[in-house]
Formats: sequence, structure tokens, C-alpha cells
Amino acid sequence: MSELKTDPVLNTQHQTAPERAVAELLVNALQLEVAADSIDPEMRLFGEGLGLDSIDALELALAITRAYGFELRSDDQRNHQIFASLRSLTGHIEAYRTR
Amino acid sequence: MARVTASATGPDLQPLTDRAPGAVLFCRHGRPVTTAAFLHDALTLAETLPDAAGHMINLCRDRYAFAVAFAAALLRRQPCLLTGDRSEAGLATLAQRFPRAYAAAEDLGTGPLPGCPVRPAGEAPATAPQVPRIPARQLAAVVFTSGSTGAPVPHNKLWGALVARSQAAAAQFALDADRPSTVVGTVPPQHMYGFELTVLLPLHAPAASWCGPAFYPGDVNAALTAVPAPRLLVTTPLQVRALLRAGTGLPPLQAAISATAPLDRDLAAEAERHWQAPMLEIFGATEVGSVASRRTLDGDVWAAYPDVVVQQDTEAATVSAPWAEPVALADHIETLDARQFRLLGRRTDLVKLGGRRASLSGLNRILLGLDGVADGVFVVPGDLEQRATARLMAVVVAPRRSPDSILAELRGRVDPLFLPRRVVCVDALPRNELGKLPQGALLALLARHDMPA
Repeated sequence: MSELKTDPVLNTQHQTAPERAVAELLVNALQLEVAADSIDPEMRLFGEGLGLDSIDALELALAITRAYGFELRSDDQRNHQIFASLRSLTGHIEAYRTR
Repeated sequence: MARVTASATGPDLQPLTDRAPGAVLFCRHGRPVTTAAFLHDALTLAETLPDAAGHMINLCRDRYAFAVAFAAALLRRQPCLLTGDRSEAGLATLAQRFPRAYAAAEDLGTGPLPGCPVRPAGEAPATAPQVPRIPARQLAAVVFTSGSTGAPVPHNKLWGALVARSQAAAAQFALDADRPSTVVGTVPPQHMYGFELTVLLPLHAPAASWCGPAFYPGDVNAALTAVPAPRLLVTTPLQVRALLRAGTGLPPLQAAISATAPLDRDLAAEAERHWQAPMLEIFGATEVGSVASRRTLDGDVWAAYPDVVVQQDTEAATVSAPWAEPVALADHIETLDARQFRLLGRRTDLVKLGGRRASLSGLNRILLGLDGVADGVFVVPGDLEQRATARLMAVVVAPRRSPDSILAELRGRVDPLFLPRRVVCVDALPRNELGKLPQGALLALLARHDMPA
């Protein structure tokens, strides 16, 4: 998987297995009308790209807590980075998940 | 440099705050900020605000920085513009309308506006400053709603009107001067509800306001745990639901207060069960602020604040409060007596989501103004205010355009919350001979496109 992430060609086109799982969670929790496997891991989640908003952020935080067992906090200065893309969000989840 | 005039007196002057110098107004980084510290920060910042500036666009995210910037602008007679739209396009629109406006924020990015940094220390000075008095008629803030043309409509807030809202709230919720409450608010200070309850309230009511993060359930719990009792949670139905679903335990509350959308009765019952505190709701409008409240489980009757008059006229219900023009409410009401009323439903043009509101005809006008769009309409799901994942949709007749390109173009023009989550292109809308879109025909069209509304 780590080879996949460092491959500049594959980087923006293919989801790793954990990314795919988070993409499924995004689509299910927010009832998005896109296919989970069509979400570009580098695409912006908020604003442009997937076009999520602050209500989605709250909903997403609940889904993440339920699925991965840890709480998101907004005093984390890296929140902007964490929520930047499917890839960054997955990285954060993989680092902090308790299940 | 000093343009901040010292205290004058007169019947139409209201102090910046009526709290004692040592009273705690804000709770920041886990430390109390006293009246004296707040006054010192406001007076200091006021000296450094740009000269000859018309309006301050207060973009501060930290509640304390926001409060200091607001007070400093007030002392310099510069009205604060409160906007929830930080997009470059949104700020550019404001700048066009208020040409001498500048932005105030903790950290100024590379926005399109000149800026003034706000980094208050929150430290009490050796001697408490004298409390400045402000003319009640002075324009203190301008808040915005989206009008039926699609452009934001400004609403002026006089200083006297803002002071009156805090004093009325203190009476309505029986805040105790001998035992001040601490408010933990999940609503941004730029929103009228957040502005009133988390920024203005401490200045004229026995309350302090928490100034740290309070968005995710984990934040809210940590904030409430960090502050002394009695604790008031000031929040929204979405956050009440999120807190209950997250199963986050909360320390004992004096009360939880919700506004911006109707609170589901079952949710209110669950909240009271889990938090062992009354679950209250505030009814208000951006134009006039908070005007009535109720305990959700007590039923559908709202009690007006002591200084508010609500009237049902033939056309619309109007509400009057001190130092404010009477305004027509977006809701139809039934008045029971001078103090109590029921809500009977909303006038149809208004859409509310996440505490923001938009005019449906305004949104439709924006859609129809796009190049290549021959016809189009925004569709509001019936459960928009109940379902967190529900958003608007748009049905468009635009033979030469793709749904994605329409969505991309709407992005710069529509509040992100009101962007359609799905754009469907069709050959024609089922308009009747009068040009109107019968709801049934529209629903049938959506059903054919597998899009339940």
C-alpha cells in the first residue's frame, strides 16, 4: 500500500483499501449521490470537489467515531489538513483509530 | 490618536457593559477574562483601528477576539458587519457595497480586503478603565439575510436594541446575579443567535461565555467540563442530535437552549432525560433577534420576552422590540394574549438550513441568470430541517450545459449550504398554462429521475 501512495501516477487515481473504506463511510453517512470508488483520493472534500459543508462535518465526525472509535476535536490545529481530502482524512483515521 | 471619547451621560447613552470590574465576562484558554481586562483590550484595539474606515467586517473566529473587535469598532463608531460567508466572492460583494470596509481577524490571510489584526491579551490592567457609554441610537452592527433577489439584505442593529436583547434574555431565563451562569455556545459569533447569546449577553447579564472550540460533541463536553456551574449550553437542533447520538456524557446543566430550527419533541425529551436539565428553545429572527422562548416539552406555546410585543396583523405577524423597527415575521402566528403565541407555519419562500436562511425565489433567480439555463428550479426536500443529510436539489433545462458546470457556476453565487446536492437536467419543467410549477407535477418529474423530494 505504501508503494501505491508514493507512485505519482497512481496517486490521484486509485484508492487504497483504507481509503476505499473511508469513501464508503462518507457516501453512506452523508447519503452522497456518488459512487464510493469514484472519489479521487486527492480531491477536496469541502467547498469545491465533493462540496461538503459544516453540517456534513458534524455528521461525518459521528460516523467516524462510530466506525473507528475515536473522537474528532476542533481544537486540533490540523483539522483543515485532516479534512482536506479522502487521503488526508484516511491517514488521520489510520493513525488514531481504536478499532 | 485617541478618538475614543470618555464617558458622557444622558438618557440615551448605554454603557459598553454594566458588569463589575472584577466580574468574569469570558472564559478563554481555561482562564477567566474580567470586565476590566475586556475594557482594556477593547480600548487598546480601538486606538489602532484604521482611520476613516466605514465598517469593520468582523471575521474573528475566537469569540473573545470577536467581542473585543466588536467593542473596539463600537467605540470608534464603526458598525460591525457580520457575515457567515467568508468566501472571496462573498467578501468582495460586501466590499462593493461598503467601499470603506476592512476586515478584522486574528490572522489575516490574503483576502481581497484591507485588514486589521485582532490579538487581545485578556489581561487585567493595574487600574480598571472607566466604562465608555455609547449612544443607544448608534449603529452597532449590520447582519444579513438573503433576500428574494438573491442578494444579501442588510439589517441594522442599534446599540440600544442589542443591550435590550441581553437584558430581556437575563429576565426571561432568570439568570442569577449572585450566581452567574457560564454559556458554552456552539453557534458562530457572526450568527445573530450566537452574537446575542455568546458575545453580547455577558456585557449586560450575569453570564460568562466560553471562548474555546465547541463544535464536535467531544469539544462541547470538554468545554462544559472546563467551566464552573451553572452551565448553559447554547446550541442548535443539529448539535443536540449529534451530542445525543455520540453518547457523549455532559456535566450537569442549568439548561440547554436550542434555536435556528424547530427542535423535534422526541429529541427534546431525550435531551432532558440524558442531561437532567430543561431543554429550552428560543424563537427569533435575524431582523429582530431573540424574542420568545419555550420549554419544548411544555407544548407549542411561546412566551415573548418581557420587552417584546408580538402582533398578528391581517398580512403578517409583526414583532416589536426596543430600539428596533417592527418587523414582519417569516412565520404565521396565532396570538393567545399579549405575551404568548403559537407558530402556525412558515411563509413559503423561505428555506432554512444550518441556521442560515435563503429565499427560494432568490435562489431560483440566480439559477435562471446562469448562461444557457433556459428554465430551472430549486427543490426543497420535505424533511430538510429534520434530516442532517438532506440538501436542496435543482432541476434545470439547459440543453448545452452539464449538471457539473451548472453546479460549479452556482458555487461562487450561492451560500455553500444551499448549493444543490444534485443537479438534474431535463428537457422541460412541467409548468402549467400560468407558468407555475404545480408541486404534484414537479414531484412526479423527480420520481421519474429517481430523486425523492
